[in-house]
Amino acid sequence: MIFFLLLVAFVCVAQIAEIFIPPLDWMFNAHVYIVPVIVFYGAMALPFPLMLSLAFVAGFLWDAMTVQVLDAHVEISFGWSILLYAVLAAIMHGLKPLFNRGRWEVHCVLSGVCTALILLAQYLMISFRRGSLILNREVWWQIGGPGLLAMLMAPLIFWSLHWLSRLTNNPYLPREEGFDDYASL
Amino acid sequence: MNRSSIVAIVLFAAALLALFSLGPQATRKIQATFFQVISPFLKTGSGLEKQITSVRTGLKSLDELERDNTALRVENRSLKATNEALRDVEHEVNRLRQALKYRERSLFRLVPAEIVSRDSSTWWRTVTINRGEEDGIAPEMPVLTDEGLVGRTTTVSANIAVVLLVSDENCKVAASVEGTREQGIVTGERVAGNLSPMLDLNYLSKQAELKAGQKVYTSGVGGVFPSGLLIGTIRTFQVRALDSQAKLAPAVDLAKLEDVFVVIVRK
Repeated sequence: MIFFLLLVAFVCVAQIAEIFIPPLDWMFNAHVYIVPVIVFYGAMALPFPLMLSLAFVAGFLWDAMTVQVLDAHVEISFGWSILLYAVLAAIMHGLKPLFNRGRWEVHCVLSGVCTALILLAQYLMISFRRGSLILNREVWWQIGGPGLLAMLMAPLIFWSLHWLSRLTNNPYLPREEGFDDYASL
Repeated sequence: MNRSSIVAIVLFAAALLALFSLGPQATRKIQATFFQVISPFLKTGSGLEKQITSVRTGLKSLDELERDNTALRVENRSLKATNEALRDVEHEVNRLRQALKYRERSLFRLVPAEIVSRDSSTWWRTVTINRGEEDGIAPEMPVLTDEGLVGRTTTVSANIAVVLLVSDENCKVAASVEGTREQGIVTGERVAGNLSPMLDLNYLSKQAELKAGQKVYTSGVGGVFPSGLLIGTIRTFQVRALDSQAKLAPAVDLAKLEDVFVVIVRK
């Protein structure tokens, strides 16, 4: 439970920190997203109910910050990010045995892919609402760029959180050979 | 699947359904509360960011500072005098309009605000300012600088507000072109590779003959933006099958935005 509360706190801090990280103009204005990586780590280190709670918090914060209320309508309903986070985190949760066996690189790659999928889903919803689909180089970079950055950040974030998880005696992480070996290095 | 997972799924689905059913007002309320809660962090973060930037770029000599200060004092006095003169003119215009039984022009007041954060998401171009309901700000108020139009307020909490920039596709502004009778709608581009993208001026007539360099102003249609605010300058113009379209360079450099004014219309 302590580790879960720590992850919730990290999600809140990361969500605010992301505001102050400027978009990368050399990557067609791609944003840096840290929160999805934390949530996807939580998907492997927490039991299913707590994973859902973490996805809920992360999605809620994202929507509270970004949902656009224009005149008398909401462009993308409050709650869609929660659903996206929950579905993707559930997929990661399903792959937990791989992580326990030490195949943590799969989850690092998947963190990037899932971050990009969240942005792709948001973009498709916006396009559907606005009535036209534009797919150009900028769009792909703004979807793929954050995914790529999440993939690169994931090993460091996973390592730090795994270390913290061991420190707090997180009971939900099986102590088998695998990622523990990396985290104890 | 164990019992606790099933209970979690049921609770999660119920909470999600409750959120999906929220209307615009309730959504705005949640967002306003959220921004109110994080406003101390946003303001502190913004202050730190500014301090770091000023240490890096703002080291000026005392002579330079004194020169700047004198120039700014002179400019301030001149602007105050102009403002007073224009206020007299405004009163006179309103008096004459009243005499001619025209509707009185709305008086407005400008509330200065600082940008505390910008572009927090990929798909919407917004900035957050350090003014809110306590300063008389409400949703759908125009935001500008001395150079031109910046956007309009959307979510407003007690002392923080979100501004939808004119470069966002959702910020639609009724516009007219300088020296012509052409009117159209200015919108931003959905996706842009930089922080200060071009704007589109759509729904111009097929007979329009516009040239690069012509200025585009708000026309006042729609009720949110008063007329006469500079939006941008035409860069390119093309006639299409059914209408014409122009690309504009925004009057305000949105990438370097630091201080803005919110227009509060006194009806």
